[in-house]
Amino acid sequence: MATTAVTSAEIASEAPRSDFGRVLAQRERRFAAALLAPAFLALLATTTFPLLFLVYTSAFRMDLAMPFTNGFVGFENYQVLLSDERFWTSLLVSLVYTGSTVALQVIIGLALALLVMDMKRGQGWFRVIAILPVVLSPAVVGMIWRTFMLAPEFGIVDFLAINAGLGSKNWLGDPTLAMVSVIAIHTWQWTPFAFMVLLASLASLPEDIYEAARLDRASAWQRFRRITLPLLRPAIVMVIIMRTMVALTAFAAIFTVTAGGPGTATEILNLYAYRKSFTELSIGYGSALAVALLIVTIIISGILFAMRRAK
Amino acid sequence: MTAKRLRIIALLAISTVFLLAWAFPIVWSVMNSLKTDSDVLAYPPKLVFTPTWEAYRDVLFGSGSILPNLLSSVIISVGTTVVTMLMAVPAAYALARLRFRGKKFAGFYVLATQMLPPVGIIIPYFLVLRNIGWIDTYQGIILIYLSFSLPFAIWLLVSYFEDIPFEMEEAAYLDGASRLKTLWRIIIPQVRGGIAVTVVFVFLNAWNEFLFAVVLSGNTVRPVTVAMFNFVSVEQTLWAKLAAVSVLAMLPVVVLGVVAQKHIVKGLTVGAVKGGGRR
Repeated sequence: MATTAVTSAEIASEAPRSDFGRVLAQRERRFAAALLAPAFLALLATTTFPLLFLVYTSAFRMDLAMPFTNGFVGFENYQVLLSDERFWTSLLVSLVYTGSTVALQVIIGLALALLVMDMKRGQGWFRVIAILPVVLSPAVVGMIWRTFMLAPEFGIVDFLAINAGLGSKNWLGDPTLAMVSVIAIHTWQWTPFAFMVLLASLASLPEDIYEAARLDRASAWQRFRRITLPLLRPAIVMVIIMRTMVALTAFAAIFTVTAGGPGTATEILNLYAYRKSFTELSIGYGSALAVALLIVTIIISGILFAMRRAK
Repeated sequence: MTAKRLRIIALLAISTVFLLAWAFPIVWSVMNSLKTDSDVLAYPPKLVFTPTWEAYRDVLFGSGSILPNLLSSVIISVGTTVVTMLMAVPAAYALARLRFRGKKFAGFYVLATQMLPPVGIIIPYFLVLRNIGWIDTYQGIILIYLSFSLPFAIWLLVSYFEDIPFEMEEAAYLDGASRLKTLWRIIIPQVRGGIAVTVVFVFLNAWNEFLFAVVLSGNTVRPVTVAMFNFVSVEQTLWAKLAAVSVLAMLPVVVLGVVAQKHIVKGLTVGAVKGGGRR
């Protein structure tokens, strides 16, 4: 972007403010409009229009199972929402799920990146294997974990638990363990992402600063605290922002494993909005929940972006 | 044993554990797909067994074959990729290279569209598509896939367009070539690599999508990520077949991922430098 701006400015200053120049600029604008039109019309139709329509339907009672009760209700859905215990629970589950998965990804990803960075051989293995989880569909990952990894007894995780003397556990049937399981699955799939981004960022750090630190006899911990961490900060914050947005709207990774259950133990707000709309067919209230999710997303990203700007 | 030796052994052990943890669920699915149901269910789990193609034969050519679902996935992913690229390449060029009022806002708009939670888009989309009879159609799914593939493709392509030297286009203008001709003959060939990477990622994201597919699919159009569910029901789980379908669903994206290995980090973090980001 920076280079573009500079060069455009140069051209603008060199061009004489003649009629010829104005005609050229106008032609450029028209050409730009023609190139942008298809994509922007598609984006308006597939994102902006649905958003407006969503806000509109959230003001209605729209029950596909009982259409005779449908009608305009104004802010009633939002009033119901504020006193809906399941909404607050799902919001809490969302925050726990997002907070723990993002923290785990960043901490494990950073630790591994530091470890692999020091390796003289075998980096290639990490680079290839780390790609595997992140390119997979969360739906497929969820199905694999639900069956071959977490099934009682012959599921590998349960097999390991039995052999470790913990005994067979109901990984997806117990509310707490189910939450632990969905968090572990999300962390398994996306830690390689944090790892790859942070490794790339580590590899681009200047070598000479470390050289100077070594001459000053700084300890490994001091080098990490005083040099590596501050230099990596932009990359870490970027990973946090990206992963938070994804975790807040995670769907397939939970839906395929527990479908939000047992009960509502793993039902994040995103999943509650889906279940309300498409399982319970209460679309008006589901829309209000989706709007609430959008507001939560905007608030959290606002906080994160402020964090990025702050030094 | 010296401290240094100990350190090396510890590093090796930690590395092995993590590599295994990432690779194992995938390798294990492949192994299970080559077993019989009774071998899948064996306790303790069998690492050594007589491999059989039976599960693959059943899911591909048996009754309830998933071939139509694989075909659905291919049509949806290829369709999404083609439509996305036709719109994203010109838009990205304009955003990266041309001067016009409101350019900053246009770029911000593209990023902001990614903030919308997918569940918020699918509710209105379901209502509209139901009204015009587009549920369970390719055009319905491909249209809504543009909501996430377009912003992604535009931003990824902008980063490639920005890398081309300005002098090339200026020379072409001075030779009297039209803008469209310059774009087609001079610019596009310069970003071939970037276009290829974008195609890989758009295809990959479309292939992996689940929420929109689960709501909008039906008996005619049902991608493999949704069809997988038929192998797990309350009454019984068809273990080996489920493993075979999982492997078939993973195969194309794993191949593409390994091919595009060097560009993965850029593809995953696109737009992040300027904010935003997605699933």
